[in-house]
Amino acid sequence: MELHLTLIFNGIATGMLIFLLAAGLSLIFGLMSVLNFAHGALFMFGAYAGTYVYILLGGWAGGWSIFYFGLGLLAAAVIGIILGFIVERTTIRQVYGDHLRQILVTTGVMLVVMELVRVFWGSNVIQVGRPQVLDGRTEMMNVLFGHYRLFIIAFGVIVLVGMLIMLKKSKIGLVVRAGVENKEMVQALGINVRRVFTFVFIFGTTLACIGGFLWGPYQGQINPNMGMDLMLIAFIVVAIGGMGSVGGSAVAAILVGLSEAYMAYFFPPGALAVNMLIMAVVLLVKPTGLLGATR
Amino acid sequence: MKSNLNEMPNKTETTPDVPRQFQRNTLMKQPNYWIFAAVTLLMMAVPLFTSSNSVLFMLTNIFILGVFAMSYDLLLGYTGIISFGHAMFFGIGAYSMGLSLRFFDNAEAGVLVALAAAIVLCFIVSFFVGLLSLRLRDTFYALITLAVATIFLIAAEQWRSLTRGSDGFNFTADIPNNLFGFINLLDRQTVYYLGLVFIVAMFLIMRRFIYSPVGRTLQAIRENENRVASLGFNVLHYKLISNVVAGVIAGLAGIMYAFSIRFVNPHSVLGVELTIDVLLMTVIGGVGTLVGAIVGAGIIEISSHWLMGLRDVHPIFERWVILFGIIFILIVMFFPAGIVGTIRQKWKARRSSL
Amino acid sequence: MLKVNQLQTYIEQFHILQGVEFEVPEGQVTVILGRNGAGKTTTMRSIMGLTPAKSGEILFQGKNIMALPPYVTAKKGIGYVPEDQDIFGTLTVEENMRVAMRKEDKATLERQEWILSLFPDLKAAWKRKGGNLSGGQKQMLSIGRALVNETPLLLIDEPSKGLAPIMVKKVMEALQIIKNDTTVLLVEQNFMMASRIGDYFYILDEGRTVYQGEMEQLRKDEELRKKYLGIS
Repeated sequence: MELHLTLIFNGIATGMLIFLLAAGLSLIFGLMSVLNFAHGALFMFGAYAGTYVYILLGGWAGGWSIFYFGLGLLAAAVIGIILGFIVERTTIRQVYGDHLRQILVTTGVMLVVMELVRVFWGSNVIQVGRPQVLDGRTEMMNVLFGHYRLFIIAFGVIVLVGMLIMLKKSKIGLVVRAGVENKEMVQALGINVRRVFTFVFIFGTTLACIGGFLWGPYQGQINPNMGMDLMLIAFIVVAIGGMGSVGGSAVAAILVGLSEAYMAYFFPPGALAVNMLIMAVVLLVKPTGLLGATR
Repeated sequence: MKSNLNEMPNKTETTPDVPRQFQRNTLMKQPNYWIFAAVTLLMMAVPLFTSSNSVLFMLTNIFILGVFAMSYDLLLGYTGIISFGHAMFFGIGAYSMGLSLRFFDNAEAGVLVALAAAIVLCFIVSFFVGLLSLRLRDTFYALITLAVATIFLIAAEQWRSLTRGSDGFNFTADIPNNLFGFINLLDRQTVYYLGLVFIVAMFLIMRRFIYSPVGRTLQAIRENENRVASLGFNVLHYKLISNVVAGVIAGLAGIMYAFSIRFVNPHSVLGVELTIDVLLMTVIGGVGTLVGAIVGAGIIEISSHWLMGLRDVHPIFERWVILFGIIFILIVMFFPAGIVGTIRQKWKARRSSL
Repeated sequence: MLKVNQLQTYIEQFHILQGVEFEVPEGQVTVILGRNGAGKTTTMRSIMGLTPAKSGEILFQGKNIMALPPYVTAKKGIGYVPEDQDIFGTLTVEENMRVAMRKEDKATLERQEWILSLFPDLKAAWKRKGGNLSGGQKQMLSIGRALVNETPLLLIDEPSKGLAPIMVKKVMEALQIIKNDTTVLLVEQNFMMASRIGDYFYILDEGRTVYQGEMEQLRKDEELRKKYLGIS
C-alpha cells in the first residue's frame, strides 16, 4: 500500500511536469496544425537559462534560495516569451498551411536551439539542487511526501485550472477554442487568426520553458539530451490526450507520469514501450485521442 | 474519409496511366546518361590517383549514406511523408551484419544470414509501422516512427548480452578477408568498389521504381492525395509500398556501413541524430531528385569532417551542426527544391528562355 | 453597395470563376441563382477573401476589397453566413455569439437582444453546445453571429439547405425583417425562398454571369427558369 501511494504520488508529480510541456504543444497543434518539433529544444533552453540565473544568484543553499529559485523561474518565463516570439515570427509564420515544411522548419529550429544550448552551457550534465525551503519531506501514512513534489503538483494544478478558466471565460480563450475547430470561420468573423497564433505559440513556449526549469531540481540535474527525451514523451501525451485539448493533455500526462513511475520501479527500460503501447491502443481505438474533438 | 479507402476498388491494373497527368515538370525528363557515365567512370578511377585510405574511406561512406539518403528521399520527396525513425532500418542492417559476423564462424553463412535477416526484419518493421501510422493523420507518421525508432535504440542499449549496450562492439577481427574466395573486405579499395557498385545499383533500382506506375502514383498522391483517392486508388497501399522499399534499402545501406566502419553502437547507427543527418542531406541536396540526396550526403560528410578538423582553431567548429541547421531552415523556407532542384529549375528556365 | 467586375478565381489549377459580374444595390436583396457547381459559393468565398480571386474587381462602398485577408473584409462590415452553417460545435450558443463580437459594448449587446427577438429558438438554446443544435437552430445561430456587429452587408449562402420546411419558413421570416436595415446578397437554390425575399437576381453558369433581371420577371417566366435553373 505504501509503495503504491508513493508511486502514485511520484507519478502525479512527474505527470504535472509533463503536462506543462505537453499543454503548449497540444494547443499549438490543435490551433495552428503545427507539430512543433522544436518544442523539446525550447523546453531545454528554458531549463538551462533559468538554471543559469538560479545558480548565478546563489543556488540552492541558504534561506534566500527560494528567492533565487523564483527569479530563475521568472528568467525561464521571459526567455520563453522571447524565444517563442522570435521562432514564430521568423520561421513558423512563413510556412503556415504546409504540414511537411512546418515539420521540417521546426526540426531545423530544434537543431539550432539544441546546439545553442551546448554552445552557451557546454555538453556536460549540470547538477541542480532544490531550494532549501522545498527540500524537505513530510511523513504521512508511512509515506514520505517530498515538498518539491508537492510544490510541482500545486503549481501544475494552478496552471491547469488557470488555463481551463481562461479557455472557458476569456475572449481569447473562446477564440482559441473556436480556432481549434474552424480557423477559416474565425477569420471570416473579423478576427486576425495569425495574431492569435503568435499569442498561443508564445504561451506554449513559455509554459515549456517554465516546465524545463522546474524539471532540473526535480531530477537533480539537467543535460543536453533532455530536450529530445522529453519531447517524445510530450508527443505521446498529446497523441493520447487529443490534439488541442488541454484537459486531455492533463489526463494523458498523469497517465504517462504514473506509468513512468511504476515502470521506473519495476522495469525501467520498458517505460517508453509501455507509453507507446498506450498511445498505439488509444490511436487505434480513437484516433482523435481521449478528449480530442471528433471532426 | 480515410477510413473508406480500403473499400474503394483498386483500379491500378486497368488505368495505370491516369496519374501521369499530375506529373510535375520538376522531375527529370530524360536520364542524362553522359553525366551519369562520366561521374561513375571518374569515381572508378579515384583509387588510381590516391592510395590514401582516409579518402577512400570517406568516399565509401558518402556512397553508403548517399543510398541511405536516397531511400529517405523516396519517403520525403516522392511520397511526401517525414520519418523520424529511418535510422532504425539502417541500424537493423548494421547490427545484423555485426552480430552475425561475430557469431558465425563461416563468413559466407554469416553474410548471407545477416542479409536475409536484415531484409526480413526491415520489411516486417516498415510494414507494420506503416500500417499503424499511415492510416492516421500525416503528422502521426513522424511521431510514431520517432517512437518506434527510440524503442529500437533503447533495446540496443539495454540488451547488453547481445549488443554490448551503449558501448557497442568492434568486429574488425571478424571481417571476412576471403569472402566467396575472392572478396577481401579488409581492403579499403575493395570496400570502395563494393560501395560504388552498391550506390550505382541502388540509384538505378530507385530510378526504375520512381518511374514505374507505382512510383508515379506515389507522386500523384504527394501532389493531391484526395484526388488520387477519389480516382479509386488505395492510397494507403501505395504509401505502404514506398515505406517498405525505403525501409529495406536503408537496411541494405546499414549492412554496407557495417563493412565500412566495422563497428556499431546504438547512437551511431540507430540514433535519431542519424535520421536528422539524413534529413539534412536530403533537404539540402534537393528533395525529390535522388541525385540531390547523393550531393547532400557528400556535402554534409565532407564539410562536417572539415569543420570538425577546425575545432583546434576554435571550439565553436565542434558545433558545426548549428551552421547546417541554419542552412537547412533557409533552404526549407526559400529554396524548397534544395541545391540540385534549384539548379535544375534555373537550367530549365534558361533553356526555355533561349 | 457592392459591385463585382470580371471576377476570376482558380482553385488549384481549375478555373472556377471566369468573369462573374453583378451589383448589389443598397437596401435590396440580390439573389444569385444557378445550378450546382456554377460557382455561387466560390463567388461568396472570393468576396470574403477565403478563396482569393486572381483578377477582377470587388468594390465595397466604392473601395476595392479584392483579395484582402478575410478578417479585414469582415471588419469592413461584411457579415458572412457560410454554406452548411459552420458554427463552432464545441462552443455554446452564447459563446458562439461572443466570439463574433468585436466589441462588447452596449450597442452590440442591444443588437444581440434584437437578434434573439428575431430567433426565439436561439434564446431557448442559449447554454447548449452548437454541435447539439438542430439544423434550423444552427442556421439561425450562423445568421445571428454574422449580424452581431454593425453589418451593412450580409452574405448568406444557401440558408434553406437541409432544413425542415418549418425552419425554412422561420428563417425566411427573419430575413424579411433583417432586409429592412441590411443589404443582403443571397445564394439560394430554393426558388420559393429566393422569390419571396429577393428583389433582383443574377444567374451564374459555369463561372459566368449569364442572366439578370427583376425577381418579378423570373417569377412569371417559366421558360427562363427551366433553361437556366432546371426547375419549374
